[in-house]
Amino acid sequence: MNRDDKTLDAQMDHLLNQLKIEKAPASLTRKLKQIPREHREKKPLLPWLFPGPLPKWVMAPAFAAVPLAFLVVVLMQPRQPSPQDIEQARQDLVVAFTYLDKAGLRTGNQIQSVLGGELRHNVKDKLSEHIPFTEQSLQEESS
Amino acid sequence: MSRKFNKWVREYQNQAWTLARYLLKDPAEAEDACQEAFVKLWKNQDAIDPDKIRPWLMKVTRNGCLDRLRRRHPTEELQEWHEPNTVAGPMQGMHQSELGSWLKNTINSLKEPYRSLVVLRDVHQHSYEEVAAVLELNMPQVKTYLHRARKQLREQLAEVRP
Repeated sequence: MNRDDKTLDAQMDHLLNQLKIEKAPASLTRKLKQIPREHREKKPLLPWLFPGPLPKWVMAPAFAAVPLAFLVVVLMQPRQPSPQDIEQARQDLVVAFTYLDKAGLRTGNQIQSVLGGELRHNVKDKLSEHIPFTEQSLQEESS
Repeated sequence: MSRKFNKWVREYQNQAWTLARYLLKDPAEAEDACQEAFVKLWKNQDAIDPDKIRPWLMKVTRNGCLDRLRRRHPTEELQEWHEPNTVAGPMQGMHQSELGSWLKNTINSLKEPYRSLVVLRDVHQHSYEEVAAVLELNMPQVKTYLHRARKQLREQLAEVRP
């Protein structure tokens, strides 16, 4: 390296040393100081249950549950029946009891006929062992 | 949390700004790049080693600037590192005071990573280790590239000095 090169190096070092770090403009400083406020992390609603940020899909069922809960609350409310409803219920009840009456009557008849027939057979079988039946009585029996 | 962040803003905003200004030249874009870097710092502050905030921030600022340059000039800025600068041109007979602004322009016209090297090492006075960390280079590369960058500057200075 000759003398001229050394002078050149010294001059460049001098120039480089003169280069200062530039001061950031006030507008940038202002923007940088707003970053914490603009990008503040949202705190979790239930930190003990969800320590990290909640995934987005968690909110979907939560939003869906809101109308469902509303519907349930509405349906759970006691409702006053209208006079038409009462009249309709009364008629339904009459029809239901009528059916019950008919069913009870038919069942009673059936029980009576089955039990009565069985009893007659049992009595007749026992008697036939001791009393001979005539032809006429057998025909009556078969008819 | 934000108190710590404000401290980092006070300490490093000028350095990030200077680096972005040298790399991008356009003040509005440099401001945006700095803002983006500090937003990333705010979001990642828990994951960064507190002793390495400055190199981390410089690296993010530089990468953001280079991304912007790639979008701006896809082929111009990063394709060739060794090409000597011809942008500044000879400025014979300059006064000493004018040489300072000339040098700034000449540094601005250096290719990457020479420009970042000169800014970080000669303007910011960062250590070689820190410069290596920011630019993701090893120490011999830092010294070699810095030598080449200074050589380019010296050659151009030889043409224009009074």
